[in-house]
Amino acid sequence: MSDTRETETASREIDLTNEAQSEAVAAGHDPSPAPIPTEPERPAEVETERPVVISTHDMEVFYGSFRAVEPVNMDFKAREITALIGPSGCGKSTVLRCFNRMNDLIATARVNGEVRYHGENIYDPSVDPVEIRRRVGMVFQKPNPFPKSIYENVAWGAKINGAASGKAEMDELVQNALENAALWDEVKDKLGESGYSLSGGQQQRLCIARAIATSPDVVLMDEPASALDPIATLRIEELMLELKKSYSIIIVTHNMQQAARVSDKTAFFNVKLDEDGMRTGRLVEYTDTDQLFTSPSEEETEDYITGRFG
Amino acid sequence: MTRPQDINLHFHQELEGLEQTVLGVVDKAVGMVEMAVESVVTGNVELADEVIAEDGEIDEAYFSVHTNWVHLMARFQPLGSDLRKMSVLLHLNTTFERMGDQCVNIAKITRFNNGLPRVERICDQVQEMGDLVRPMIRTAIEAYLRKDADEARLLPAMDQPVDRLNANMYKETVAVRDNPELLEWATKMLMVSRALERIGDQAVDFAEQTVYLITGERAEFNEMGLDESADAGIG
Repeated sequence: MSDTRETETASREIDLTNEAQSEAVAAGHDPSPAPIPTEPERPAEVETERPVVISTHDMEVFYGSFRAVEPVNMDFKAREITALIGPSGCGKSTVLRCFNRMNDLIATARVNGEVRYHGENIYDPSVDPVEIRRRVGMVFQKPNPFPKSIYENVAWGAKINGAASGKAEMDELVQNALENAALWDEVKDKLGESGYSLSGGQQQRLCIARAIATSPDVVLMDEPASALDPIATLRIEELMLELKKSYSIIIVTHNMQQAARVSDKTAFFNVKLDEDGMRTGRLVEYTDTDQLFTSPSEEETEDYITGRFG
Repeated sequence: MTRPQDINLHFHQELEGLEQTVLGVVDKAVGMVEMAVESVVTGNVELADEVIAEDGEIDEAYFSVHTNWVHLMARFQPLGSDLRKMSVLLHLNTTFERMGDQCVNIAKITRFNNGLPRVERICDQVQEMGDLVRPMIRTAIEAYLRKDADEARLLPAMDQPVDRLNANMYKETVAVRDNPELLEWATKMLMVSRALERIGDQAVDFAEQTVYLITGERAEFNEMGLDESADAGIG
């Protein structure tokens, strides 16, 4: 029974992916930028093994001389949602920020090991972090639109990257991004109004539109719904399930039910306190979400998801 | 390493309460099997009435457990072994309720067969089946309480003689075909045998759930084909 359902879901997914892609192509807006290796076309019925988009290889994070995260080895695949869960201080946000070099912005932070994006180490000195952040977008806990119009919020990144030439092309790009972020219908008549005029949930979807307007193939989300009410939260979750037809999503969340609802894979990080009270994060278990939340392999995971902690 | 502090204590207390209510039905079910078999073997109609009355209590417990179960799921959305336990308790609640129903089926046959002639050999076989299935239920609950998957895995072997006796009952029934009154009685006893065979299967099912609870892996115990031949015999 479950097999049939999986196949149905998979084929539906592929249909919609193709649809989304052809729409994007029709709009003259290729969702995957040229340097990213494109995948061969897949037959509609068969779900092929998804390629790895991001992988970490003994990745560890230091703040000064203190190791904040023990070596992490993980693969993230195309068009999958991965949730990073764990108690405060377990390093999950730190790990997330490694994937688009956001930790570069913290002077004392240092990343050892490798983070590969389509096989290329993004910490290689020759790699431009701005280019990485264009391809690996990010959405934060608190919606943070620019103090600009709704239109400008979405067009900003694309403009810098020269992704559109001329007004008509940019209009289409903005509309596409807002449609993919499930916000278009709500804002199409007030694109000139300030991003701040929107509700919290709408602002967060605007930030998602902004993140995907630069044609990334990975979107990082750090607690994207924790500042939102339950309805706005469900909207974001629905949106994630739509977006995963075209993007890989890695989400940090404190809400285990949210992780269970949206993700394909879940990674549980735990925190270790040393005698000086310093906290080190460690990847405990990384597996299919269904498995992790029903029969985890590690007792630490079991303790955490059943509410035993300390 | 010491076990971490339980910060989900309230839920765990409620879950324990739910578990005790579900398992509390098992003792009652074992008692009902004993009474139902005795009633049908000895033709004791008063005892049969007692069985039917007791089933009302099992039904009440069933509905109460189901209501509490839904509330607990809605309020706590448990995960991990807590979720497995919730799943197992929902299943067991139904299993035990059905054991009660099978006992009622037997008790009703006691009433129906009242005054009909009987065959001692068939009575002995039904008694033997009853004596085999009760220890099965007890072993299953012991395995559950001790979290002993190996003990749970004993159940299929314990079920084999029950299936064998059930298959044999068909032949016993055919053997009295020339006496219409005896045949009527024996046909009903065939249904008793079938009910006891089902109770045995339900005990095996209980053990499968126990293995799932402990290991997280689905277990489908092999019935060794005996069950199938029994089914083929009496439909």
